[in-house]
Amino acid sequence: MGYLGGSVTDVYSFAVYYFFWVAIAVFAFGAVYRIAKMVLFWRRVVKAEPRNRGVGAWIIGLIRTFVDPIIFSIKTKPHDFLAGMVALHLVGVIPLIFLLAHHVAFFAYWFSPYKIIAETGLWIPLSVTTSTLTITSPIEVKFVDSIWGPLTVVLNGDVLAILAILGTAFKIGTKVMEQIHGLRHVRWSDYFSLGLLLFILLTGYMAARHSTGTVTMDVGTYRTVLGLHILGAEVLLMLLPFSKYWHIVFGYWYGKLHEWYDLRVQKGLV
Amino acid sequence: MEQMAPSPAVKQLLEEVKRNISWEGFPADKLEKALAEALSALDSVKLHFLENCVGCAACAPACPYYYVSEKYGPVEKAELARYMYRKEGTILGKLLGPLLNAKKPQSEKDLDEIVEAVYRCTNCGACYVSCPFGIDSGLIIKGILGSIATKTGRAPTLIAVFDVIERKKLFLEIPSFMYIWNEVMKKAEQALGKPLPFDKKGAEYFLLVNMADAMFYPDAVIGAMRALDRAGLDWTLPSKPLAFRPPIAAVIGLQKQAKEMIKILDEDISKYEPKNVVLLDGGFVYPWLRFQMPKALGRRPSYRVLHIVELFEKLIKEGKLKLRQTDDKVTWHDPCQLARRGGVTEEPNFVLSAASKGFRKLPHHGAESYCCGGGGGIGCMNMEMLEQMGKLLGVSSKDLVASDKELEFIKKTAEHWSIAVKRKIDDVKKSGAEIVVTACPVCMHSIAGGSQLYGLKIQVRHIAAYIGEHIE
Repeated sequence: MGYLGGSVTDVYSFAVYYFFWVAIAVFAFGAVYRIAKMVLFWRRVVKAEPRNRGVGAWIIGLIRTFVDPIIFSIKTKPHDFLAGMVALHLVGVIPLIFLLAHHVAFFAYWFSPYKIIAETGLWIPLSVTTSTLTITSPIEVKFVDSIWGPLTVVLNGDVLAILAILGTAFKIGTKVMEQIHGLRHVRWSDYFSLGLLLFILLTGYMAARHSTGTVTMDVGTYRTVLGLHILGAEVLLMLLPFSKYWHIVFGYWYGKLHEWYDLRVQKGLV
Repeated sequence: MEQMAPSPAVKQLLEEVKRNISWEGFPADKLEKALAEALSALDSVKLHFLENCVGCAACAPACPYYYVSEKYGPVEKAELARYMYRKEGTILGKLLGPLLNAKKPQSEKDLDEIVEAVYRCTNCGACYVSCPFGIDSGLIIKGILGSIATKTGRAPTLIAVFDVIERKKLFLEIPSFMYIWNEVMKKAEQALGKPLPFDKKGAEYFLLVNMADAMFYPDAVIGAMRALDRAGLDWTLPSKPLAFRPPIAAVIGLQKQAKEMIKILDEDISKYEPKNVVLLDGGFVYPWLRFQMPKALGRRPSYRVLHIVELFEKLIKEGKLKLRQTDDKVTWHDPCQLARRGGVTEEPNFVLSAASKGFRKLPHHGAESYCCGGGGGIGCMNMEMLEQMGKLLGVSSKDLVASDKELEFIKKTAEHWSIAVKRKIDDVKKSGAEIVVTACPVCMHSIAGGSQLYGLKIQVRHIAAYIGEHIE
């Protein structure tokens, strides 16, 4: 019997009915630990009189703080920008995690306000031909009628998953190359983190594409693949506070806002 | 000026400095102590810099030394500090060690790698503004790594000499230094045509002329005095230098000593009860006195700190300083410490536009300015500087290095600088400027040297010297 009352009979039910809470607990513990550490290390200092450039400069400074590194990256490392920033972040993983119709349904099950994404039609369909949550049953194929309109041709789970897979594979390749070049910032744990992400993307894609009209997976295999996908995502959730993925939750936001305050507000850099 | 013989003070100074410097060996006990001190000084901001780097290396092309080798990218250099932090400061690092790149230096080679990282970083802050996560790698490299390098014996002897000269105020006892100071003051008096207003109490403006200002740009010292005088301000300056280039200890990562120096300087300045302190130096002196001083003192100073270019802007806007406008093809090089780390980016453009119709910005300016590659002590690491300082101190240049290994390191550093400076020179070339105006002695030296190296015929001037000549 799983913690949610369902029977633990296979990987899928283990991931959904049992391991989910373990993952949430580890994530919560880790997040509290990381944030508490930051709070405990905070020290009161006397600050210099700030240079006053006006609120307009602060707002422009805030935008520049977030945008400048992106522009810099486009100019200096276009390949990395396309694979890392565009494929992996902007149009790949982030919309895939938070807006894919299947994920919206799953998240809304645990956190009902998340239904707003579905209700406003912001969720992204699995494919260009259907927005239904499963394609296991025989269904009528029709063009997706979504708020995204013609954009669904590219803004659908299949395309995003492929972009994210390409982006992740590129980043793994980059790490291998950097290691061959003897660069010291590559960690073995990077391969684990990126490998796990690739595993989640591949199993998710396989589960979503388990049937294309002819039976390619029996129900047992489907449940196993989907179970592995969910289990992988849960391991990732557990890993978030203890790995580079913490940037999604905290590091990125803290870092940029601190930089903005330090350079733009305090020092008045324009 | 004739070369002076070394005074007993200089001999004693060199002996004292060299006792703490050793470029060979692996002093495990010193390393442990230095590491413990570095970790005890962590705060939440440094914690973020150490813990949240994802290794994307987006910062790499921002660094002038990345163009020497990709192993000098900021992420690569700061990673050495992260190795140690993870091993000593995180539970997972202790448990998983190599999987997370968590390790401490184990050998002489590891310490050599650290010192190389420190002196391939100018702390220009370009990595800070190009990092997608707001991580200031320069602060980690020059701060934590610099402290570990110096405390385990690997500090450039010349900078360590400057540090002791400053903190013990030995510049007052070195005849060649005081000769330079007195000569500059004499020339300034001639230029102004009246006695200088030394050591006045309660003046509106206190021109903090440091020893290095008098040594590296005497024309700027005189130019600044002309401007203050012509604007009719109530101003003063110290009759003797208060510091060499404060706090020079920071250049070799000695934060505690740097803060001590700041306290001494504040006491000295406070005796004059000035309302404003005006700096000529647009290098690290500016952010230290303007932004770090309150942290070091635990209170805000009783006076405001501003750079001479900020004062020029104010005086021009108020109509107190009138300039004769020319057609000079002039540009402004933003010293990293004044601009990126100090926020003074708009004022120089305004001032130079008032001085010349031919003023143009560099293709990369302000927050995006290219570093000259000479900061962070690198500008002191060449034979020319060693020879010049040797002459002034009355010793041979060989006396200003601890060993052959240090000498080799200095030569290699100078070689790498010559590659790093090229990006800046190309930027100047693109601007079509014939005069580069700036405010940091190291930038001046680096750009002048770089332009000579790459065949660019330009003049490099300090803003106070340039403006001093444009006063109506």
